[in-house]
Amino acid sequence: MNTRSDADRIVERYLDDLDRALAGLPASRRREICDEISVHISEARARLDGGDEAAVRALLERVGNPEEIAAEAGARAVSGPGGWADALVPWLVLLGGFFFLIGWLAGVGLLWSSATWRLRDKLLGTLVVPGGLALPVLLLGLPTAVGTCNASGRPGVPTVTHCTTSGLVIPPWVGIAVVVMLLAAPIAVAVHLERARRRP
Amino acid sequence: MLRMVPGDEPVWLAQLRRGSVEHCVLALLSKEERYGFELARTLSDDSRLVASEGTIYPLLARLRRNGLVETTWRESAQGPPRRYYRLTEAGGVALAAFVGHWRAFRDAVDRILEEAQPS
Repeated sequence: MNTRSDADRIVERYLDDLDRALAGLPASRRREICDEISVHISEARARLDGGDEAAVRALLERVGNPEEIAAEAGARAVSGPGGWADALVPWLVLLGGFFFLIGWLAGVGLLWSSATWRLRDKLLGTLVVPGGLALPVLLLGLPTAVGTCNASGRPGVPTVTHCTTSGLVIPPWVGIAVVVMLLAAPIAVAVHLERARRRP
Repeated sequence: MLRMVPGDEPVWLAQLRRGSVEHCVLALLSKEERYGFELARTLSDDSRLVASEGTIYPLLARLRRNGLVETTWRESAQGPPRRYYRLTEAGGVALAAFVGHWRAFRDAVDRILEEAQPS
C-alpha cells in the first residue's frame, strides 16, 4: 500500500538525518544510538493503530529533533551547518581548480575533514571530477586533433582538398559529449554537496 | 522535512532537568529492569522529564559507559529483540548519593522561596 511505503520513507529519512547529526561521535557510539532509536521507532509504530503518514510524523516528533538528540549525545559538529568552511567546500571543489589546482586541493581537504558529509559524498566530491570545472576547460583548450588542409584549385578545375590529420583522433561528437559530461558532472556534484550541507 | 523546534523553555529549566534526569533513570531502574522504549515513554509521558523521547538513548549510553547501568538483550514477543537496562552496584551508590543531595537542595530552595514570599 502506498501510504505504508511513504511512512517507511519518512522513517528512513529521519534515521538518515539522525545519523548525519551524530557524525561528530565515534562510530560505535553513533551506531548504538541509531540502532536504539531505530528499535524505539519500530516499537512505537507497532503500537500505532494505523501506520499512516501523519501518525508516523507525529511519532517522530515525539522522538525528537535529531539535532537535539545529537546535542544530548555531546556531538558537537566540528563545523556545523553554517560553518564558513563547509560553505566554501562546494565552491572550492567546483572552481578551486582554476586557482592553480591549490583551491581544489583545499576544497577536498575541507570536505574530508568536515563531519557534515558522509563517506559517499566525500568520495563523490573528490572523484567527480578531480580538478572540478578546471579539467574540462583545460581539455577544451587542448587540440585533440590537428588537421591540416591543402586546397589546390585552379579556375575551371574542380577544387581538390587534401586533408591530413595528426594527433589523437576523436570523432567530434564523442569529444563534445565527453566535455559536456565533464562540465555537467562536477556541477551536479557541487549542487549535491550544497544540498547535503543545508539539510539539518 | 520534519521541523521540530524544541519547545520554548527557559534555559534554567533545561539545565535543571538535565541535572536530574539521569538519576531519575537510575531510580526507575532500581526496582526492576526496563527496556529503552518503556523508559522513554515513562519519562516523557508522566513527568516530562525529557524534552523528547529520543534524548533518553544518548543518556542511557552515557550511564552504561560510566558503569552505572548494564544491559542485556532479550527476545520480545512482538518486534525486534529488546535491550534491557539494569542498575549496577555503582549505579545504586550514585543514586543513593543523589537522593541525599537532592533532598537537601530541594529543602534549601523551598525554604528560601517560602521566606521570600510569605503566604
